[in-house]
Amino acid sequence: MFGRRRRRIDRRQNRFIVRMDAEERALLRQLLGELRQLLALSPDDPRVRRLYPAAYSDDPERESEYVSLTREELQSGRLASIDAVEASVDAELLDADQLTAWMQAVNSLRLVLGTMLDITDDDHELQFDPSDPNARTVALYGYLGGLLDEIVDAQL
Amino acid sequence: MSAAPVEVKLPETDDDAVADRPWIVIVWNDPINLMSYVVLVFQKLFGYSREKATELMLDVHHKGRAVVSSGTREKAELDVFRLHEHGLWATMRQD
Repeated sequence: MFGRRRRRIDRRQNRFIVRMDAEERALLRQLLGELRQLLALSPDDPRVRRLYPAAYSDDPERESEYVSLTREELQSGRLASIDAVEASVDAELLDADQLTAWMQAVNSLRLVLGTMLDITDDDHELQFDPSDPNARTVALYGYLGGLLDEIVDAQL
Repeated sequence: MSAAPVEVKLPETDDDAVADRPWIVIVWNDPINLMSYVVLVFQKLFGYSREKATELMLDVHHKGRAVVSSGTREKAELDVFRLHEHGLWATMRQD
């Protein structure tokens, strides 16, 4: 219809239809590759620290125990999501588990890009300025927010 | 209707009282996660209704944080872990 973009993700009973052209799917595949590289960084690297929040903010001893129990699993879980999205990135139809993987991978990407853009308060307004060195990150952050919103909407 | 009589058992030592206090899981506001995404995560992880999940999300958004679950330390830690898997900023402490 005029002026209204068709939703990319739509529920059909227990499955989800994906309407994306080949270029958009290629972009997603490329971003997943970038996320995979970022996940190889130390969790203490500022770019990915947001992916590993503290559980016990005022108890260093329990926190270090929590970190040793969970860091690897948090990382391997995210890598598994990337694998699952890469395996289904060209699919027209996703099951619920596949869509969950898409959601987790897209959200992880947004968290990393948002951290890189130093988005620290709710009122932060991003302006797209092609001459800004962060222009690509700003554009991708906006794009991923729209996609994530549609992925979430299809499940609510 | 009247409330059933409650048997009050006083803890024998303060240590017992501390050990028995439940742990609470707190989700903190963050400017990156989408509001709709946070609602969906609360529904999925805790089985909350759309209304309850939305109410908690709005508490996080407006008050800066909300208690989203409570229980033993083990349960709270698992809840925190699952929230971290979904990229939410969650911490836990004894109530």
